[in-house]
Amino acid sequence: MQFHFKIAEPEANATGVPNTTNPHSALQPQQPAVLTEPKDAQHEIKLQNIVATFSVDCELDLKTINSRTRNSEYTPKRFRGVIMRMHSPRCTALIFRTGKVICTGARNETEANIGSRKFARILQKLGFPVKFVDYKLQNIVATVDLRFPIRLENLNQVHGQFSSYEPEMFPGLIYRMVKPRIVLLIFVNGKIVFTGAKSRKDIMDCLEAISPILLSFRKT
Amino acid sequence: MSTGFKCRNCGSNEIEEDNARGDRVCMNCGSVLEDSLIVSEVQFEEMGHGASAIGQFVSAESSGGATNYGYGKFQVGSGTESREVTIKKAKKDITLLCQQLQLTQHYADTALNFFKMALHRHLTRGRKSTHIYAACVYMTCRTEGTSHLLIDISDVQQICSYELGRTYLKLSHALCINIPSVDPCLYIMRFANRLQLGPKTHEVSMTALRIVQRMKKDCMHSGRRPTGLCGAALLIAARMHEFSRTIADVIGVVKIHESTLRKRLSEFAETPSGGLTLEEFMTVDLEREQDPPSFRAARIKDRELIQNMGVHELTELQKEIDAHLEKDIGKYTESMLRKVTKGKVTTASIQEKSDKFAQKSEKELELEESRQFIEASNAEAIKEFIANNTDADTELESKPHTAMANAMIEGLRPDIEAICRVTESDLEDVERAKQPMETELYIDDLNDEELDQYVLTAEEADTKLSMWKNLNAEFLREQKEREERMAKEREEGKPEKKKRKPRKKVIGPSSTAGEAIEKMLQEKKISSKINYDILKTLTEGMGCLTGDSEASAEEPKPKTVEELAQTPVIVEEGPISSKQSRGKPSYDMPGPSRKRVKLEAGLPVSQPEEQLEKKPEIALEADELDEDAEVDEADAEPEAEPEATLQDMLNQGAGDEDDEYGYGFDEEEEY
Repeated sequence: MQFHFKIAEPEANATGVPNTTNPHSALQPQQPAVLTEPKDAQHEIKLQNIVATFSVDCELDLKTINSRTRNSEYTPKRFRGVIMRMHSPRCTALIFRTGKVICTGARNETEANIGSRKFARILQKLGFPVKFVDYKLQNIVATVDLRFPIRLENLNQVHGQFSSYEPEMFPGLIYRMVKPRIVLLIFVNGKIVFTGAKSRKDIMDCLEAISPILLSFRKT
Repeated sequence: MSTGFKCRNCGSNEIEEDNARGDRVCMNCGSVLEDSLIVSEVQFEEMGHGASAIGQFVSAESSGGATNYGYGKFQVGSGTESREVTIKKAKKDITLLCQQLQLTQHYADTALNFFKMALHRHLTRGRKSTHIYAACVYMTCRTEGTSHLLIDISDVQQICSYELGRTYLKLSHALCINIPSVDPCLYIMRFANRLQLGPKTHEVSMTALRIVQRMKKDCMHSGRRPTGLCGAALLIAARMHEFSRTIADVIGVVKIHESTLRKRLSEFAETPSGGLTLEEFMTVDLEREQDPPSFRAARIKDRELIQNMGVHELTELQKEIDAHLEKDIGKYTESMLRKVTKGKVTTASIQEKSDKFAQKSEKELELEESRQFIEASNAEAIKEFIANNTDADTELESKPHTAMANAMIEGLRPDIEAICRVTESDLEDVERAKQPMETELYIDDLNDEELDQYVLTAEEADTKLSMWKNLNAEFLREQKEREERMAKEREEGKPEKKKRKPRKKVIGPSSTAGEAIEKMLQEKKISSKINYDILKTLTEGMGCLTGDSEASAEEPKPKTVEELAQTPVIVEEGPISSKQSRGKPSYDMPGPSRKRVKLEAGLPVSQPEEQLEKKPEIALEADELDEDAEVDEADAEPEAEPEATLQDMLNQGAGDEDDEYGYGFDEEEEY
């Protein structure tokens, strides 16, 4: 059995409701090279969340930012930063006094990038001497459904070094892959969550490494 | 008090044994034959502040007599190391915890061993001791297979069970203890006992066990709390045996929410075994194993999604595919059919007279045959594929164990090589880090109008600000107060609070021994009693020595031990250097000859003073001639205290030790 993985490309207008992923994408026409092999499943990796950080490289007055924008909230008692939201791309920024900004909630890398720059632009419009420094993707969360049940107990027994499975605490098996450095949550129904990835490639590598292992622990 | 022993030195029988001091002294020549005697009787003496036990207490755990060797080398009086105290405390607490959990002493001992392992690996640092104890006990429960849940222990210790779980996972992982997954069957008996089933408890629990086993076969247990399964099984079993236990009763025992229990029940009902009658269930074992319920639920969801997505989309797609296929057929038929129908075309050449008709019929023929050909080849491909697929499946089924073994190799192998190997992406990352990032904000593709919507006008901003000020009035006041206080403190000249120092960095490898020592000294001040300046001059001397060893040899050298001791190498108060101050009795030593040997050992080595730092082995070699036991001690010394590699310290420290050891050994040999 062979796997074909691909990361779902977002629709051009990624503005809609988050869960409008097209189930047809599993039926998407494939590249000619892949077509030559018999294919029984194409597993679609869905990116769920991207966290990016950047710095505007200047000190910010959070009170002004809060009062002059309509999409922000600032409760210094609860959280030291301004929380700013945006509709398109739908994402949220945490803005701190030092000029560091964390942009979360984007669905893919381009969204994260555009969103980050938009936040920076808003700050620029408020009159801060804004730059755009140290933009970096910090975390990518992705999911995939392998569509076969997995024996978590056996997997935990054999891969005890990397995994921990305590149904009393969490229903999934937590697999800490060393290279690429990614944490996977593996569930009995074959669904997998990747977190801690820094790039798409990490996730693909990780899935490539883990899928033969999981296949051998398939519940027949 | 003469005890029938003979003095080693003078052969006198007059030997005084003093249990209070714990030593044995020859009354004739005055040599101490034995100190730190261990006595089993307890004596008390009257002191200023009341009665107290005589002597020192030696605990069963203390590692031999050496812990409080030499009249309390490090801790005068207490006689126990801090680690010993920690372990003692842990033992007490773990035993208490085990008693609360109705575990026998055996479990407590195992748990204590886990604790010792954790302590040794410094896993206890930064964690609450209650968590560590509880985690150790839980680890014991899991390895021994007792029916204790994480929540029981956290209940007894009054700590968060998730926090405890994290500690437990961390410990078991760090100590490489592979703990089997929880088996829900373990808890059946325990819960059944609490359901007040009277004499039928055993029967009910057996039935429940059977149900749980069936549930496990149907994969209902993975990813679920064991208590939920147990609860459902016990409820069914109790009712099968005509006990009227409500869901609420069971919930009270297994401590799980009603909806969870109901869900487990309905999930079990959906399995084929759930559909059997009672007698059937007790007698029939269904071969088929079911997929886990969550998996089935996901598939049902998938199907619904596809259905809901609308038939029209599917049909559209189908039409598109059909159109493409037809196009493809049109393209390929001619060339392909030539080949396939070559023979037929030749036979058909007779009909060439009626060209038009023939062409028409040929075209139809071509179409027909091409369709057949495509179908045939498709069917073949599909058959092949299906055959392959089943092969793979049966292989997996027939050898699940080998597959598992393979998986282990598969799973572990990439790790080891991957850690060592630097991949391209790593290099890329390094490269990227080097490159300066763009610093200017690129805004060409941004829609400014949209962003302008987010910015408020001046009045709006004012209203929002005033509103915000109202909402956060409390915070603003606090902030103001804090600022005032800070300003006041600054005026008063109060020093600002020091920030915590970050943790020590790992010292990298260094090229020379001197460099390594220097680095280490920088990292941690070993002792405030060390004269670091002089230490530095030593290393400098070594530096010039490496260039010219002859010149340094001409420097005045200490010739005797006394001189050696006077040379200001390292001044450390304590047992190592202050030989005199320790007030070693000047009575005739049992081994004066040995002392001389040591002198000889010290002298030749002491000549190239600076070189010694580099090669303490010379000293060791000299000692080796002396006595084997000494070598062991001297060997251990530089390892334990790398800063003591200086010759004097080493020699003297070793000397001290072997004096003392000399006593012990000789004495033992004698008796």
